Amino acid sequence: MGKLEGKVAVVTGGATGIGLAAAKRFIEEGAFVFIVGRRQEALDNALADLGANARAVKGSVSDLTDLDRLYAAVKDEYGTLDIVFANAGAGSQLRLGEITAEHIDETFDTNVKGTIFTVQKALPLMREGGSIILTGSSAGTTGAPGMTAYSASKAAVRNLAKTWAEDLKGTGIRVNVLSPGATATELAKEALGEAGQKVFASMTPLQRMADPAEIGAVAAFLASSDSSFMTASEVAVDGGLAQL
Amino acid sequence: MKKLEGKVAVITGGSSGIGLATAKRFVEDGAHVVITGRREKELKEAAALIDSNVTTVVGDVSRLDDLDRLYAVVKEKHGHIDILFANAGAGTIAPLAVATEAHFDQTFDVNVKGLFFTVQKALPLLRDGGSVILTSSVSNVLGLPGFSAYAASKAAVRNFARAWTLELKDRNIRVNAMSPGPIETPALETTTGLTPEQARQAAAQFASQIPMGRRGKPDEVAAAVMFLASDESSYITGLDLAVDGGMAQV
Repeated sequence: MGKLEGKVAVVTGGATGIGLAAAKRFIEEGAFVFIVGRRQEALDNALADLGANARAVKGSVSDLTDLDRLYAAVKDEYGTLDIVFANAGAGSQLRLGEITAEHIDETFDTNVKGTIFTVQKALPLMREGGSIILTGSSAGTTGAPGMTAYSASKAAVRNLAKTWAEDLKGTGIRVNVLSPGATATELAKEALGEAGQKVFASMTPLQRMADPAEIGAVAAFLASSDSSFMTASEVAVDGGLAQL
Repeated sequence: MKKLEGKVAVITGGSSGIGLATAKRFVEDGAHVVITGRREKELKEAAALIDSNVTTVVGDVSRLDDLDRLYAVVKEKHGHIDILFANAGAGTIAPLAVATEAHFDQTFDVNVKGLFFTVQKALPLLRDGGSVILTSSVSNVLGLPGFSAYAASKAAVRNFARAWTLELKDRNIRVNAMSPGPIETPALETTTGLTPEQARQAAAQFASQIPMGRRGKPDEVAAAVMFLASDESSYITGLDLAVDGGMAQV
């Protein structure tokens, strides 16, 4: 039997990359998964991949009415929710000196505000034993050129889990941060090119980028009762990149 | 197939608490375990609980001869190691003003020197691609009165994981620290020097400092160690995994 048998999960940013890999793994472990994404075509492709135990809800986590529609759909079909993987994120790069207000707003609207409301609006459906997983980043603890907005937003995400572990005290709902390092998603491979991928691999103690499935495996651990005494933790899945 | 099918694991401090719970979990998941501990009677009782696929070697990790004997047995019986859980630890409580040299030496002999040589002497047997897990503690980042030697020793352990990650990366051996918070093990009553009443009070006080509002169970720590031992954590190395109910996180 899978370790998420009978569980209901929401995965934002679930149409591609880490979110899709986690959704796939959750389903393999017995869960039913609602994926959220902005692009219909990507959602359609993901559903074709995920099979019958998935639904797609088109929407942006920075739009509160989209989140309301998402949770209305979950409530209609299942009534309760066990796992929230708040994974949708945005991250363009601008160096100090070039930063615009739009760049800051776009990054923080998705990564911080979007994460906050993804979780807040999920709470009425969640119950004891529930698990919330937030996608942080190795960039939340390290500095890199052009990453002002992204790394600050991911540091904020890491800290959300600290406060929420206290706010959720007594509910039996856990919240942890999963912080990937360089991950070979389709998007990252395209953006980095061969040369960029090699640079990231060489910076990482494990000397390679992560397969998205390796991040999905950790999400499944944090979603399951195997991590039942973990809350407010940050689990870096970064091949050692930000750990040394 | 089970996650650790056919794997060979060595667990120090395996006769009770976290070490014993982990040994049980590893065997359930298909591994053969070799456990070591200082007290023969407890070690035998632990082996009886684990039931199958377990070998015991009596020994003290702070004695290098004992480690040599341990690995001689492992070599003879299995020829190699896939998973090393360096878990044996000591922790008497002593405020700075009254701590003795013996207290300091015992803490560092077991927690730092013992763990250092536990890993060094395992290296010839460790398979490339293996997993090494070091038991640190939430106290590696927390100030707790009476725990200064213990906390410092556990911070040393956390830092071993950093250097060893780099030293062993070419063999694709992952090294992680695992930091439990207060766990419901016999250690609080048997090794800290507290009376049963003091231990009970300490446990209650710990629970009040933990966001989850309770101490952890050995099985919960074992599940996290199992995660670090298996391919589920194949992209995790150099990490300090806190299993502490949030105690050192907020």
